[in-house]
Amino acid sequence: MRPFPQPGAATLLVVILSTCLLLLLFQKMIWLVLPVLLALLLYYSLRPVVDALVVYGVRRETAAKAVCLVQMIVAAGVLILALLSLSKAGTWQGSFGRYLAGGQNLVRKTTGSLERAVPMFKRMNLSAQVDDQHVRQFTDGFVKKNLLPITLQLLEWLPSLLLVPYITYFMLTDLGRLKKYVIKSVPNAFFEKALLLFSHLDASLQNYFQGLLVLTFLEGSCLAIGLSVVGIPHALALGLAAAVLAWVPYLGSIAGCIMVVLVAATDFPDQPSTAYACLVLFLGVRIVDDFVFMPLTIGRKLRVHPLLSVLMLFLGATVAGATGLVFALPLFGVVAVIGETVSQVVTDQRLRARYRAARQLVAVSLERI
Amino acid sequence: MRFFSADTNAQKVEMLKNIPIFHELTRKEILEVDELLYERVYEKNEIVFEEGDPGHGVFIVVSGKLRADPGHELLKTALLDIGPGESVGELALFDEGPRSATVVALERTVTIALFQAEFSTLLMKNKSIGVKVLIELARILSRRARQLLQHEKHLPTL
Repeated sequence: MRPFPQPGAATLLVVILSTCLLLLLFQKMIWLVLPVLLALLLYYSLRPVVDALVVYGVRRETAAKAVCLVQMIVAAGVLILALLSLSKAGTWQGSFGRYLAGGQNLVRKTTGSLERAVPMFKRMNLSAQVDDQHVRQFTDGFVKKNLLPITLQLLEWLPSLLLVPYITYFMLTDLGRLKKYVIKSVPNAFFEKALLLFSHLDASLQNYFQGLLVLTFLEGSCLAIGLSVVGIPHALALGLAAAVLAWVPYLGSIAGCIMVVLVAATDFPDQPSTAYACLVLFLGVRIVDDFVFMPLTIGRKLRVHPLLSVLMLFLGATVAGATGLVFALPLFGVVAVIGETVSQVVTDQRLRARYRAARQLVAVSLERI
Repeated sequence: MRFFSADTNAQKVEMLKNIPIFHELTRKEILEVDELLYERVYEKNEIVFEEGDPGHGVFIVVSGKLRADPGHELLKTALLDIGPGESVGELALFDEGPRSATVVALERTVTIALFQAEFSTLLMKNKSIGVKVLIELARILSRRARQLLQHEKHLPTL
């Protein structure tokens, strides 16, 4: 087989720059990107169901409609629950402050214990620093300053999230036709390469999104079981929320851990051991997640070098903040596949010569007409 | 204006049914397969694929004629001209091995292409269609193998 040249450093640089530009664009259009991303997630998880219904004789459109209808009923239920929770925003603010105070209490107790056990900490006067007025001002100010804007932001996003079932339906019915439509415009010389690119992209996205769902389910289940063993109330909801938060690399896991530890510290103020148990549980699940679940689910599907992954995360966060952190790796994976294929086509003299010859043949044919 | 609507009509279904690979499929199955096929038009003397290219799929001639020009002596004795209803590059559906011949259009030729990725999806999604298509492909390949064996007397016939 004639080998294709491997993409070089220039391709990598173009891929990194393109990813950063796209991340910037994503940040500006987050109201559209988020529903499309959720629709992709649903598309890849619902496609096998639609395909199975088609095999049983149901028309593709009918199967897609039925699947989307079920999905919309579930989404409507979630939306009603979310609106009911948001209507209690006033109580939320109070609860949030209570949980922050619980966390502060836990830190105070922990530092007290540390001071009693280790003289060096006593000399550092750790408890006094925790009790410092600045910390109290920060926590009080945090609730007042951030909770309302976050709630309003969520309310702003709700209408765009209504697009999700609509986009999913058209993906389930028309994505194949859209692909044929795009391929039609590709010249014959690059036709096989273009199809191969689509096939690789589809496989990569499918692996990523299906892997992400399985990973969330596994991580959520482990956390829910662990938290219920520890005795934390609403273990299932907390476990699933922490697993979904983990979609944001690194920061999401830390946020999930802090959330559960705050709940444990507030609901069990006299038992710091419960909060410590939650912390140990999170560390344990993180290790199992990184070394067992991740390789079994998403694994090396994106085939991005670890050093490059970290670099992309930093670049993503710098260029587009939290949006950049969430999208940096999957987007880099997709852009890399496109970049490699385009680089192979551009550097392949034979394919380009075939393309030029075909254009001349088409011109001659048109002249005859 | 409908940009990417289904363009399968009765005439196209009939045309696909006349192609040996899809001969055994029902109308409903043809419609399902059509979603996975790509129509390409090649001008006279245009290369479809070259010997040594990584193979990704089979090309079926709808109208016009293709000529295969294999580098290997043994293959030169096999079918060289590929006319309407006939196919070329079937082996690429099963592996991504290099193409064994260069194929050129002898006149303006309309082909439909079925690619490995789509074929694999079809086999997994709808086993009934997959089995019918596979049997037809096996028939075509065995016919080709027999042609080769007839020309090469020293090769044993199994």
